[in-house]
Amino acid sequence: MPPQRREARRGTGRQPAAHRTGQVPWSIIYYKAPDSTVPALEFLGGCPSTLDAQFAAVLDAVAAAPPPQFSGGGKWEAMHGSMSGFYEIRLSGPRREQFRLFCLLENGTNEELARRGLQRPAIAVITGMHKPWRKTFSDGDYRRVRELGTEHQQNHPRRIAT
Amino acid sequence: MDSQMVDVSLHERRRARRMQDPEYRAAYERAAREVAQTDALIRELDSLRTDLGISKAELARRVNRNASSVRRLFTASQVRPELPLIVALADALGAEVRVVPRASKARQAASARGGQRRVTANV
Repeated sequence: MPPQRREARRGTGRQPAAHRTGQVPWSIIYYKAPDSTVPALEFLGGCPSTLDAQFAAVLDAVAAAPPPQFSGGGKWEAMHGSMSGFYEIRLSGPRREQFRLFCLLENGTNEELARRGLQRPAIAVITGMHKPWRKTFSDGDYRRVRELGTEHQQNHPRRIAT
Repeated sequence: MDSQMVDVSLHERRRARRMQDPEYRAAYERAAREVAQTDALIRELDSLRTDLGISKAELARRVNRNASSVRRLFTASQVRPELPLIVALADALGAEVRVVPRASKARQAASARGGQRRVTANV
């Protein structure tokens, strides 16, 4: 089982009721790499302004009504297979170029969250990628996303952009 | 703030700064409206299902779908819900999907901006 999925499962079912029902809005945080770059913000900064805005709108909607509720207008999707544990926001840009933002959920008991430096559950935005229409990301592309996610989850407290 | 707690305010600060750009703001507000309408519709269906005491599996059976497709729909693990499925689910729950114009003032404003007719869907 991918570490991201184990981490996601660890919190499920043991979190406070308010978190389960989505009454507490989640935070949105951005992973910061060891070299102090912030892959997701670099990606968003390179997106057309309108797509950057759409990503923010989806993130805000999901943070306001987090899983397991339906949220994100159909643009937020749980990933499967080797990417289990990740969620992606899927948007189309000019010339049908496909833009993806990869996220992990930071959820768990208050103690678990505190160990990560979080006062409440959060959406951790890890990185993003884009590709031409009808092309696919390579296994290597996805492996790099997983590596960033694993690195993020090894940090206690989390190392994020501030 | 507890010294062990990380500062999680960047997203809000970044959004506020980006909102200064009219193009960004317009795209954000449009996307937020679309997302809110879709989310409200799906949640309304799920709420109706719950009120009627119908399981997801039973609802799936009523619309000749497998249970996982309905479960995925209500838990946001299926991207881009299909309109035919939405309509079928509403019908099975004794409801219907409608497109209703927004308030007349908003319609007039939309017309003034180029004749685009804004609509919202509800059940």
